Amino acid sequence: MVEQIPYINLAFFIPTFPLLGFLITGLFYKRLKHNQAGIIASIMITLSFLFTVILYFILKSSDKQAATVTLFDWISIGNMKIPFAFLIDHLSLTMMMIITGVGTLIHIYSIGYMRGDERVNSFFSQMNLFTFSMLLLVMGANYLILFIGWEGVGLCSYLLIGFWFKNPVYNYAARKAFVMNRIGDLGFILGIILIFFTFKSLSFSEVFSQAAALQIGMPVITLITILLLVGAVGKSAQIPLFTWLPDAMAGPTPVSALIHAATMVTAGIYMIARSGILYNLAPITLQIIIILGLSTAILAAIIGLKQNDIKKVLAYSTVSQLGYMFLALGLGAYSTAVFHVTTHAFFKALLFLGAGSIIHAMGGEQDIRKMGGLRKKMPLTYITFLAATLAISGLPPFSGFFSKDMILNKAFEHNILLYIIALFGALLTCFYMFRLLYLVFYGKQRIATVRPHESPKVMTYPLIILAILSVFGGFLNIPALFNGNSNFLNYLQTAVSVKITEEISHTTEIILIFISLIFLSLVILFAYRIYVKKSTLPEEDGASMSVITRIIYRKFYIDEIYCTIIEKPYALLSGFFYNTIESAILNPIIDGIGNTTYWLGNMTRKLQKGNISFYLFAMVAGILLFIFFILII
Amino acid sequence: MILLIILLIPLITAVFLLFLKDKAWVRSIALAATLLNLLLTLYLIFYSPQTEITFSAVNNMGINFSFGYDGISLIMLLLCNLLFPFIILTGFKQEQKQVPLLNFLILFAQSALIGVFLAKNAFLFYIFWELALIPVYFILLLWGGEGRARITLKFFIYTLSGSLFLLFGIIFLYQLTPGMHSTDFSVFNQLQLPAHTQIYLFWILFIAFAIKMPVFPFHTWQPETYTMASTQGVMILAGVMTKMGIYGALRFLFPVVPLGVQYWQNFVVILCLIGVIYASIIAFRQTNFKKLIAFSSMAHISLMTAAMFVLNYYALQGMLFQVISHGVVIVALFYMVYLTEKKTATLELNGMGGLKLVAPNMAILMLIIMLASIALPLTSGFIGEFLMISGLFQQSIWFAVFGGLAMIFSAVYMLYAYQKVMLGDKNKLMENIKDLQFIDYMILIPLIMIILILGIYPNTILNLPDLDVRSMLNHISQINEIVKGF
Repeated sequence: MVEQIPYINLAFFIPTFPLLGFLITGLFYKRLKHNQAGIIASIMITLSFLFTVILYFILKSSDKQAATVTLFDWISIGNMKIPFAFLIDHLSLTMMMIITGVGTLIHIYSIGYMRGDERVNSFFSQMNLFTFSMLLLVMGANYLILFIGWEGVGLCSYLLIGFWFKNPVYNYAARKAFVMNRIGDLGFILGIILIFFTFKSLSFSEVFSQAAALQIGMPVITLITILLLVGAVGKSAQIPLFTWLPDAMAGPTPVSALIHAATMVTAGIYMIARSGILYNLAPITLQIIIILGLSTAILAAIIGLKQNDIKKVLAYSTVSQLGYMFLALGLGAYSTAVFHVTTHAFFKALLFLGAGSIIHAMGGEQDIRKMGGLRKKMPLTYITFLAATLAISGLPPFSGFFSKDMILNKAFEHNILLYIIALFGALLTCFYMFRLLYLVFYGKQRIATVRPHESPKVMTYPLIILAILSVFGGFLNIPALFNGNSNFLNYLQTAVSVKITEEISHTTEIILIFISLIFLSLVILFAYRIYVKKSTLPEEDGASMSVITRIIYRKFYIDEIYCTIIEKPYALLSGFFYNTIESAILNPIIDGIGNTTYWLGNMTRKLQKGNISFYLFAMVAGILLFIFFILII
Repeated sequence: MILLIILLIPLITAVFLLFLKDKAWVRSIALAATLLNLLLTLYLIFYSPQTEITFSAVNNMGINFSFGYDGISLIMLLLCNLLFPFIILTGFKQEQKQVPLLNFLILFAQSALIGVFLAKNAFLFYIFWELALIPVYFILLLWGGEGRARITLKFFIYTLSGSLFLLFGIIFLYQLTPGMHSTDFSVFNQLQLPAHTQIYLFWILFIAFAIKMPVFPFHTWQPETYTMASTQGVMILAGVMTKMGIYGALRFLFPVVPLGVQYWQNFVVILCLIGVIYASIIAFRQTNFKKLIAFSSMAHISLMTAAMFVLNYYALQGMLFQVISHGVVIVALFYMVYLTEKKTATLELNGMGGLKLVAPNMAILMLIIMLASIALPLTSGFIGEFLMISGLFQQSIWFAVFGGLAMIFSAVYMLYAYQKVMLGDKNKLMENIKDLQFIDYMILIPLIMIILILGIYPNTILNLPDLDVRSMLNHISQINEIVKGF
């Protein structure tokens, strides 16, 4: 029996609070008055956050780096022993901090944002259920507990995307998200099964300690990592399974902030970072991840250039940033990827909440062509949005700079071409973000009918806190170049495996930073010229668009392509199976057998009509035939 | 003795019901009897250490009147006795004709099914097998919906002709038994038939089970029959009777013709996987809610059959767990279908929509049940499906991939159905509809509790058939080695 860290069992409470919140708000959703559900849900997740902080200090004060908390035997059959257990280590604590910390702010914000919605209680119930599932996902001590959370967040995502269920378009988007995730999940569960048959266990500690002794390039490990990757691609919206995420913006904006930006979509990155030891053994898979990540980053950034819906811009930006995280994973820089997950959680949650504040102020309008000049009307939203924009663009000293810069450096170490493409993507990011900022906040208000106003405090305070985090979050990990000691990465080192690569010299690093700074400034100036000086507006929908613009605006027609090559054939196949094979082939055959029997019965019945002469004839004929046979044989 | 009591309680109650007139009394007594039976079954499972009780009366034909059980029978017995209280309850607030007769038939069917699962003798098994068909035939014929005469006849002839092969097989095996002939399973299991005999005998025995389950392409009676059947009828059919096929295959095929099983194994697995994909894809375009659920049931059963035939530990265990899980889920689903029809007076998906606006609680419960059907973790559906896919994987990764496709396809058609029924804007059909009534909660809440308990703590029943599955697999591999030795 390993000695347990005192009070570590408090970990049990962390997912329990949101589960309780879900049950209370879910079971009594008809009785709770306005705001009550929101307050209960927010209290529950705040408690989770506090307990996470306590747990952090408990683990810090002990001499251990990880602890397992086992609740009960979940599946125990034959050699398969899968306990319901939590793993508390530096990686899971980091993720828990993000989920409960950012989650708390978003919950509080939602009290203001969702006020007046008739199903506000269900909303908070589902948000708490999501938090519970997400915590299971990152706390699970084995792959199957992770999978519970994995599917659980998928379900909550489905529920919350289709939250306004009167609209069939939203319902379709919700279903699309769930099914696309399920495609990934199939890969994931097959990967889990293969892990079990390879290592005879699913618990992280057991699998990784065995894997440490394996050789690089074993086919079975490569297959495992590819199968897991399929799951991650679905959940983290990478090519080819990324099209659900932009559609997921149908959900209320806080949902987009929590689920489709800060937490759920990073689950794939978490899972691969967690399995880093396995991925280090499979260089081929790492190559695939690099290619997928980088192409997703660029493709989504290009699409983001021409979107006019404020949430769609942010959605493609999320896809693109997730691509960067994948790039980091593919380069073996797992903790760097987690670092980008962290800073991204801050600034992307802030961007979405800011967008929510804007949409709220504009009376539900999401088209940036109809906004403009909001800087004066909504100063707090403006300042915080600006901070987030600077952070995502990667300008020093904002948080995004530190994480993105590290990814770019890693890319440079690997291959200069990678670096150039990644930098190009970063410049695209900078451009579409400033385009968004300028169109929304600068110039004149383009629609006179609405009177924008600053949002209530319950919404702006979370914005301010997130803005502080977005600005200073990068200081969690100050690289050696700036006399820091990479606290964040060192903290993760005990939980996340490291792939040792050659480090570039400080001189090169400084040169690279200057290069990107120069380009970023140029891009910002360029955007300023177009959208503020000349106050150009994006083209109206329709024929006036140039061909390239239209292709980009229509997202390279990927949705249409998927519809033609997958959805329609599937429906056709369904019809073919039912109308042709089932109704025209199988059923008639069986009925035919039945009918033949019936017909034969009818025929033989006719033989027995009591006609004596026929009987005699048949008898004689029979005897003759009989003799005939005997004589011949 | 307790076995005999379990077997006879429904039968005796059934006869007694025929002398009653009052509907409420008939239903209550039937419910009490099934509940008592459930309690006795639970007692048997959790407190009775014996695994083998035989009550036999020998006659000179070698046909022993003997009952007994092992872990596999217990699973089936539990399934049967767990579902019947809900099936009886389903009738409680319905307008029905001839209530005493109906409940007589239902309980009679229960007794016959229990007999099938407890018989330790092939001939006895066959008698109960056919006996179970009769009450179900009348339930379908008298309480069924449109086109019942034609469809019921087809169902009856189809399954009956399958059974004839089984009877032939039993007689064939009987005359092969040494010394004083016998039809006991234990004697059959000792027969070591030559390989080529097993290879054709396999199909003679399997046809009956394949039709009952049903396995592609023997399924054509099923969608129509399910759609036409009354709610209680379809619950018996889909919840319990399909499992007769599975149980029969486990009892007959694996011990008696193991070489035949191994010879045909991949063929049957592929056939079943075709069934999984075929039924899942068809389900997506169904416009009738009940038919959609019927095809979904076929997809799930096909996956279970595929898992059964890969002949390994995890697959068999998962399949047996899924027997219970599928039974509970499908009964709950058909109850939801019934509620939907009662509330909207239609089953056509295209006209529906917006039910969630007027019946939010019903929407929540329906979603939970559907999620169990698509195997979301922490519902019972996940445990079974995970173990089955693991077992399929052990045989071949492609089996696992195609079996696993059911995970995606089921999400496609279930969420489609959910959206069509529940989501969307207000609808004329949905005016003046009330949310769930007390009786609905009485049925749905316990079913959902079972789904969740089994999903969160599957160990309650997961290890029941452990020993028997192991010994069956041992038996097969031993025979295999003997044959290889020659």
